Amino acid sequence: MRLKISNLSKTYPNGVKALKNLSLDISTGLFGLLGPNGAGKSSLMRTIATLQEADEGRIFLDDLDVLKNKEDVRRILGYLPQEFGVYPKMSALDLLDHVAIMKGVVNRGERKDLVEGLLRQTNLYDVRKKKLGGYSGGMKQRFGIAMALIGDPKLIIVDEPTAGLDPTERNRFLNLLASIGENGIVILSTHIVADVRELCARMAIIHQGEVLAEGNPQSAIDAINGMVWKKVIAKEELEGYMSSHKTLSTHLIAGKTEIRVFSEDQPDASFQPVEADLEDVYFLKINHGAQNGANQS
Amino acid sequence: MFRGLFLFEIKFRLKQISTYVYFALWFSMAFFAVSVRDFGPDDQGGKVFVNSPYNLSLLMVWLTTFGLVFMPAIFGMSILRDFEQDTYQFFFTTPIKKRDYLGGRLLGSLVITVLIFSGIIFGLIAGKFMPWADQASLAPINLWFHVQPFLLFSITEIIFAGALFFMVGALTRNIVFIYAQSLVFLAALLILQLLMSSIPEGLAAFIDPLGISSFQYVSRYWTIAEKNTMTIPFAGVMAWNRLLWLGVGALATAVAFLGFPFSAETLIRYARKSSVEGAKEKAPPAFKPAAIAVKQRFDSRATLAQLLALTRIHIISIVKEVPFIIIALIGVLVVLIGGWNAGRIFDTPVYPVTYLMADMIKSLSLLFLVVITMFYAGELVWKVRGIKYDQIHDALPIPGWINVASHLVVLTIVQVVLIAMLMLSGVAMQALKGYFNFELSIYFKELFLIELAALIQLSIFALFLHTLAPNKFLGHTLLIGIVIAQVAIAEYGFESRLYQFGETPDYTYSDMNGYGHFVKPTVWFTLYWLAFHGVVGVVTVMATRRGTSLDLRSRLKRAADRFRFPINAVGIAFAVAFIVIGGYIYHNTRRVNKYEDSDSSRVKQAKYEKQYKKYEGLPQPKITAVDLKVDIFPERRSFAATGVFTLINKTDQPITDLHVIDGNESLKKLSFDRQFKETLADKELGYHIYQFAEPLKPAESLRMDFNVAYENNGFRDGGERPEFAYNGTFFDRGYFPVIGYNRDFELNEDDERSDQGLGPAPDMPSPEDPKARNLSIFSNDSDWIHFKCVVSSSPDQIAIAPGYLQREWIENGRRYFAYDMGDTKIVNHYSFISGRYEVRRDKWNDVSIEVYYDRKHEYNVARMIESTKKGLDYFTTHFGPYQFRQFRILEFPRYRSFAESFPNTIPYSEGIGFIAHASHEDDLDVPFYVTGHELAHQWWGHQVFGAYAQGSSMLIESMAEYSALMVMEKEVGPHNIRKYLRHELDRYLRGRSEERRKEQPISRVQREPYVWYHKGSLVMYALKDYIGEERLNAALRKYLEKVKFQEAPYTTSIEFVDAMREATPDELKYIISDLFETITLYDFSAVEATWRKTPENGYVVKIKVSAKKLRADGLGAEKEIWIDDMVDIGVFAGAGKNEKALFLAKRRIAQPEMEFEVTVDRLPARAGIDPYNKLIDRNPDDNIVFMSGGQRRLSHTGGFRSEPASQQ
Repeated sequence: MRLKISNLSKTYPNGVKALKNLSLDISTGLFGLLGPNGAGKSSLMRTIATLQEADEGRIFLDDLDVLKNKEDVRRILGYLPQEFGVYPKMSALDLLDHVAIMKGVVNRGERKDLVEGLLRQTNLYDVRKKKLGGYSGGMKQRFGIAMALIGDPKLIIVDEPTAGLDPTERNRFLNLLASIGENGIVILSTHIVADVRELCARMAIIHQGEVLAEGNPQSAIDAINGMVWKKVIAKEELEGYMSSHKTLSTHLIAGKTEIRVFSEDQPDASFQPVEADLEDVYFLKINHGAQNGANQS
Repeated sequence: MFRGLFLFEIKFRLKQISTYVYFALWFSMAFFAVSVRDFGPDDQGGKVFVNSPYNLSLLMVWLTTFGLVFMPAIFGMSILRDFEQDTYQFFFTTPIKKRDYLGGRLLGSLVITVLIFSGIIFGLIAGKFMPWADQASLAPINLWFHVQPFLLFSITEIIFAGALFFMVGALTRNIVFIYAQSLVFLAALLILQLLMSSIPEGLAAFIDPLGISSFQYVSRYWTIAEKNTMTIPFAGVMAWNRLLWLGVGALATAVAFLGFPFSAETLIRYARKSSVEGAKEKAPPAFKPAAIAVKQRFDSRATLAQLLALTRIHIISIVKEVPFIIIALIGVLVVLIGGWNAGRIFDTPVYPVTYLMADMIKSLSLLFLVVITMFYAGELVWKVRGIKYDQIHDALPIPGWINVASHLVVLTIVQVVLIAMLMLSGVAMQALKGYFNFELSIYFKELFLIELAALIQLSIFALFLHTLAPNKFLGHTLLIGIVIAQVAIAEYGFESRLYQFGETPDYTYSDMNGYGHFVKPTVWFTLYWLAFHGVVGVVTVMATRRGTSLDLRSRLKRAADRFRFPINAVGIAFAVAFIVIGGYIYHNTRRVNKYEDSDSSRVKQAKYEKQYKKYEGLPQPKITAVDLKVDIFPERRSFAATGVFTLINKTDQPITDLHVIDGNESLKKLSFDRQFKETLADKELGYHIYQFAEPLKPAESLRMDFNVAYENNGFRDGGERPEFAYNGTFFDRGYFPVIGYNRDFELNEDDERSDQGLGPAPDMPSPEDPKARNLSIFSNDSDWIHFKCVVSSSPDQIAIAPGYLQREWIENGRRYFAYDMGDTKIVNHYSFISGRYEVRRDKWNDVSIEVYYDRKHEYNVARMIESTKKGLDYFTTHFGPYQFRQFRILEFPRYRSFAESFPNTIPYSEGIGFIAHASHEDDLDVPFYVTGHELAHQWWGHQVFGAYAQGSSMLIESMAEYSALMVMEKEVGPHNIRKYLRHELDRYLRGRSEERRKEQPISRVQREPYVWYHKGSLVMYALKDYIGEERLNAALRKYLEKVKFQEAPYTTSIEFVDAMREATPDELKYIISDLFETITLYDFSAVEATWRKTPENGYVVKIKVSAKKLRADGLGAEKEIWIDDMVDIGVFAGAGKNEKALFLAKRRIAQPEMEFEVTVDRLPARAGIDPYNKLIDRNPDDNIVFMSGGQRRLSHTGGFRSEPASQQ
């Protein structure tokens, strides 16, 4: 399966350009969509998920015109929005059953098995009869993925699912995601680099509505390996370093500031080489544009 | 800190757009009420200023009541805001005192609400200065008249209700409760007003939190003069009422302060009470997507399953989220309370027949159901967005229309459940009252066809508006705005149901005629509007929100995309149906029938007067004999007749032109026994002039042959003729030609006249005017006539007209009846009736008594016959012989609610008396009384009537009232006649309070029914009481013998009053002037009464009374006059049913304060002055006091007393 997005543009009525002539090619498996808040990730996801129109461009899922045949897309779609609510007074069992009917699972016995299976797999079986209003953030996200998974969707879109989860919950959720996505396309959008690094074989970095990089995370890291340097500096020196170097990130370590910079050569002896990671790729793309990025692979 | 919080609340509200919207709403309602006549309160024909203190109070009361519905949003939200926005933790962790927090919020909300409501005052004042305002109906601005009612009603209610809403907000801290409060509050108001109408007025005035009953009670007898000058005084029951509710407000505030937990900890625990502990989870098993193979289908079966699932989830979320059960129970309560009173006639309960119950349920629940529908429509449309489930929902593979459909299904289910519950309570109420003829089919048609169809339309429209509106608040505002605008549009004369949204022509169910001819218009108009709303529904589907692009362009584009098969086909089908049905309705209501709104008949009347008034008083011959052949076709609601009038020139001059009025466009053909030509034929106004080649000489007679017919084809847009029914036809001479210009067709109301450019209605001629005595009050084209006719109808119906039945036969499948009045002369007043009747026959001496009634209405037939017999006894004994050998009562459908006395023939509406059920000792015996009244007309009306002059109605109506009252007194005894007198007094005083021109003394009464009926009974009964029954009846008999069957010149009220004066002993002669010739009122009260025992085992009763005598002018301005009158002093023992008069005699009252001593032989309980209310007293309740003896001197006033305030 291939999802081919070509030249997609969207400008909101308030003038914000959410997508600028964006093109992407996504094939079966987990695909990470990395970008800061407001990069256009959600706009893109919603457009694929038939929830909003594009001004220009086309999206095809194999032969299926996603923008035109919304009804057909919805039949094979599993969508978990970035922020979502549920009927707070309903139980997980009830609402999941309801969504299953909505997704055309009409046979009562099949539906029962499916719902139970999903609840088990998302580890919500023990609380299936509890009101959803009392669920914690992680439980709600897992319930969300359970809803999205009904009907064995070919196209699964998961928008910022790990935002706001504590580390345990996040892990649990990533494990869940890792176990799907063998048959269809799973698009995971996130602003957390580690999510992508841990899960996705392919990814794209988007910023201000444009694709800055696309490819395999590891090759992107490889491309800049040996060009990332770190140094511990005093706080008041920060500004000077920021303007003179391609600063990727700064961290506080025991009260001191550590900066990581990008440079093909060692800037000076006080900088130590470090192993590049995906975060470095991400910040390089976001902060310093595509011109210095890893080549598309 | 208090100051800071208080100011914060005010500033916050001042930044909210809704504050200004509310202010503008109040301002504009008040503004339009004053500046546009049709919006404003009743100005009683221009006599009571629209901005009179009375009307300003009235507006204040209602606008405040209306405003209360919006107040929860202000008061509840002031607390809830912190919980909605999670700022509460901030507030409750800072060192703010609870007192400051709650106090600041409450006081801030109060001040803002007062500011919002003050829009009423500004609107009222601004309206006066608009160029289009009718200055003639507006008084100069008096600021106090605006401020006083605002203080008395608005501010007290804001404080009371605000505190209550604040309390609920503080204690529940839940948006749903705040929101539902408005609903519950509205329902509570409905119940309350019902309760108020079913408890004694004085009590209602005390406990009504809205002050509506208090206002009505205190001002119920206010005259025009008082309404223009007095504000409702803060005194007596009004003051107690206000203090009571301010007290309740204070209590609510205290509860709010005490019950509000002021610590973040408690509050947070409260908010999070139901979280699920998720810590002890096991690690998830590996996920195997293919493990569960399911089949997805998207065929019609799936669609149906989806529709059902959506419906289910909506219902679950509605039933679980909103206290739906409470709302339903409130509805049931409304019906149970309302059912207790369903369909009272006068003050008499009736059998709870099903159509009355269904009527009651509909009228009581309509507003309730409308509000619930509107509320839930908003909830349904906005729910998924409110809980942020919309993106998941919108990406589900369901067709778009299924959302709208499921919303509609849910609303319909809610409505059906509520209606079914209401219906069951109606049935339960019937059973509770011992009535078991449930007629479920009427319930079904009224509630599940007619009302549900209207509610479904409303549902669609509400869904439509909420779909278009950008948020819920605006959706509701639009909806309410459109509902109000629609009422306003109707007020402005756009009355046709072709564009009055969702309206169908009014109809009346009748036990006799079922839904009858109303079926067709109701069905077609309902289909018309259903088709319209079908189109609206399709547009709603096209406009449904889905996804996140909600800008107009995207929505339009999506709507266009959705206009595809089958949506477009459905839409077009509805549109075509709408147009085709509309065309069919148009054809029926505008082509086959003439469309008449309320204005068009007024325009016609005015035109008639303007063009033809010049012919008034022209010498015309009079009808002396009538011979008719009338064919009634009940199944077509039609009749056709041929007739011959014999006319005689009773004037002393030759007549060349004959003027014929055809009031109902029924005249088809007309000819005379001499040469003539038609010189004027005004078909529109029905005015024809025929000129004879040879004038009709004095005393010469003329034969006039004519054909008249009336057809009812198709159906109308309202205004169906009530005279014609499939079962129960009843029409009178109005469908036959009338000779000469007739003043009865003129407009009477001064304001309607001035709209048409006519001056005020002229007074009737004075009884002293000798010219007036030539015309009878009944008709100016006849004195007495000879009458005979042949009437035919369908074979299953009996047709009746005045006269003795000569022959009955069947011919050509029709049933014929020949009636002849023989030599007995009757007034020119006859009716034709046809129906499927049961007949009960009886006899009194040689008079046959017949009651023709519907088989369902046997209840009171025996009582009517009894009344007839007793009446015949009394009237023949005291007034003179009965001129006929028969007396017939005929039931007709309740489209009209009266009984009318034709010669020996009384059409009697099924709506009055036939279903009366006087079971309690306080109930009036309506069938008995009304029958007596109509029977008495056979003397007073059919033997005697006066000239066309002021006071003549007294000779007919007041005398019939007196006669009926006397028969009743014989039936129930003098002690029990009190309740009838009290009823008459109350109706009289209320009647004069609603006067639109000027009240006349009864001997000069013009068109004031409350004077000729209710004051009539009172003065005649008082006269009887003063001079004695025998003496009065002898005088009446003498008068009657002198004037009965007289030809012109006719008797007048002067002659009658003189006869009464003659019969009155000299020392009492003053009463004649007080009773008949002036408007005289009294204000009696018993101040105190005590008793002590005498050695002879008797009781000496000491009674202290106060007395005032007043004269009023036509507008009700009173002046105290010297009192020197004979008035009853009474002492009573026992109570209630067992009360007995120990002493009752007239004593001279010549001082404003007097004391009397009376000795009685039993232990007395109560004593007083004019205890039976024989004289007219605006505070009749304080005439008697309870007393106690020995040392203690306790006095109670009975009931609640209200004193008019001194004039401002």
